[in-house]
Amino acid sequence: MIRGAGVVADSNIQGVGLGLRPPHYADILSSWPAIPWFEALSDNYLGGGLPLHHLTRIRERYPITLHGVGLSFGSVDPLNQAYLKRLNALVDRVEPSFVSDHLAWVSQGGRYFHELAPLPYTEEALEHVAERIQRVQDVLGRQILIENLSPYVRFAGSDYLEWEFLSELARRADCFLLLDVNNVFVNAFNHDFDPLAYLDALPAERVKELHLAGHEEEGSFLFDIHGRAVQDGVWALYRQALQRFEQVPALIEWDTDIPALEVLMTEAAKAEALRSGRPVP
Amino acid sequence: MLPARQRIGAYHTSVDGKLGRSLEQIYPVRHRLVGENFVQAMASAILEHGVSRSPGLGDYGAAFPAFLSTFRPVQSLAYLTDVARLEWLWHRAFNAPDQPRLNLEALARVPPEHWDRLVFRLPAGAALIASDYPIHRIWEINTIPTPSHDVIDLDQGGIRILVWGDGHSTRLDLPSETGWQLLQAFASGVPFGELCRQDFDHSGTTMAELLPVWVQCGWLRDFVLQEEVDP
Repeated sequence: MIRGAGVVADSNIQGVGLGLRPPHYADILSSWPAIPWFEALSDNYLGGGLPLHHLTRIRERYPITLHGVGLSFGSVDPLNQAYLKRLNALVDRVEPSFVSDHLAWVSQGGRYFHELAPLPYTEEALEHVAERIQRVQDVLGRQILIENLSPYVRFAGSDYLEWEFLSELARRADCFLLLDVNNVFVNAFNHDFDPLAYLDALPAERVKELHLAGHEEEGSFLFDIHGRAVQDGVWALYRQALQRFEQVPALIEWDTDIPALEVLMTEAAKAEALRSGRPVP
Repeated sequence: MLPARQRIGAYHTSVDGKLGRSLEQIYPVRHRLVGENFVQAMASAILEHGVSRSPGLGDYGAAFPAFLSTFRPVQSLAYLTDVARLEWLWHRAFNAPDQPRLNLEALARVPPEHWDRLVFRLPAGAALIASDYPIHRIWEINTIPTPSHDVIDLDQGGIRILVWGDGHSTRLDLPSETGWQLLQAFASGVPFGELCRQDFDHSGTTMAELLPVWVQCGWLRDFVLQEEVDP
């Protein structure tokens, strides 16, 4: 529950939510659309001012999850304590259902390159990342969700396949998983493996959220742009994921070239129809 | 299968795109002044010039005004650096934490013998900027939804601006001469006793007249007591 709020929203998420994006603030705050929950990008609200005010108002009516990119679990830099402190303050303020970040590194030597870079899936990396996740969970006082990437490169010398690494990471760190279905699809296409093997390998009880997004095809390669509608192949993989991870909430994630809210709601309606077995609109 | 060089190149393209979009969001006026292609070129150049020390993309643009001042292609646009500085300060004020108004009850409880050590503070994220160009007019014209065909005379004289967040709006206020000097003193943390010993009276406006107005309008948001210095 939000402290001091006039109207409070249950913090549990169900169904298909939308990524919260600034171009949609006005529509959301005026029409209060029939969306069960929103996912806010943590990094946009670590300061304050009007963005945080909007988020607080939205949180009064909707459950929220927080999704970040700055924890840099795969980096060998020390955990950024200032960033973690600000994130913790935000978590205290909005009481999200989930807090998530990525299996990635975004910094080296104190320099941030603002791109989710993949890491080698070695035993050393596994121990390193698991320990960092545990420390973050201790600070935040909750288990967090770790999202899979769609890496364009793989590293020779990896001890694990990606899905093996994620599964073992979730166990060792006692964390949860955010499964980006589009990323699995893109990853499987680019590196020629069976995406169903990926889904089947993950511990179902650890998968707490799904992401759905669009990619871009250029010749024989797929680029994860999260900037268009979900494609047919991803919808098909989502159907498979629904059988494997029953009742896990899903999110329509659209990060670039953001369309009108109605477009995202149409995507969400399709995902919800698939989830509930109703005819697709 | 895509060659390794192109796969790495995909990351380079992605980083360029993200940073360019971030700079566009923080510096929309600059974007309108110089256009999309030039913006992308600057984004690529700044990647070579500066590094990001924060995980937040919103913090990335802090070095951009300084970069512009050394970027040869815009040297003929002398006002552009100051416009970028104003945009960065507006962005900081916009994202600054909310603050209540100055606690007058707490201020009234400060014993008179400590008044000399009072240090009044401007709102979080507030900043002062002076320019030889009418950057506030440039900013205004390029941030209104409907394009304006007004012509701005760059030689009309300079300006001094207080950029600050007032509740959920961000303001550009133009202080008087006395106000500017006093604001600079507050921003520097000059204690109240020292301010009283300085001469801020210009054009008949005194500090005693300004302070209550500034408390009411929100320019003064907080106070602390300066640590006592051993004689």
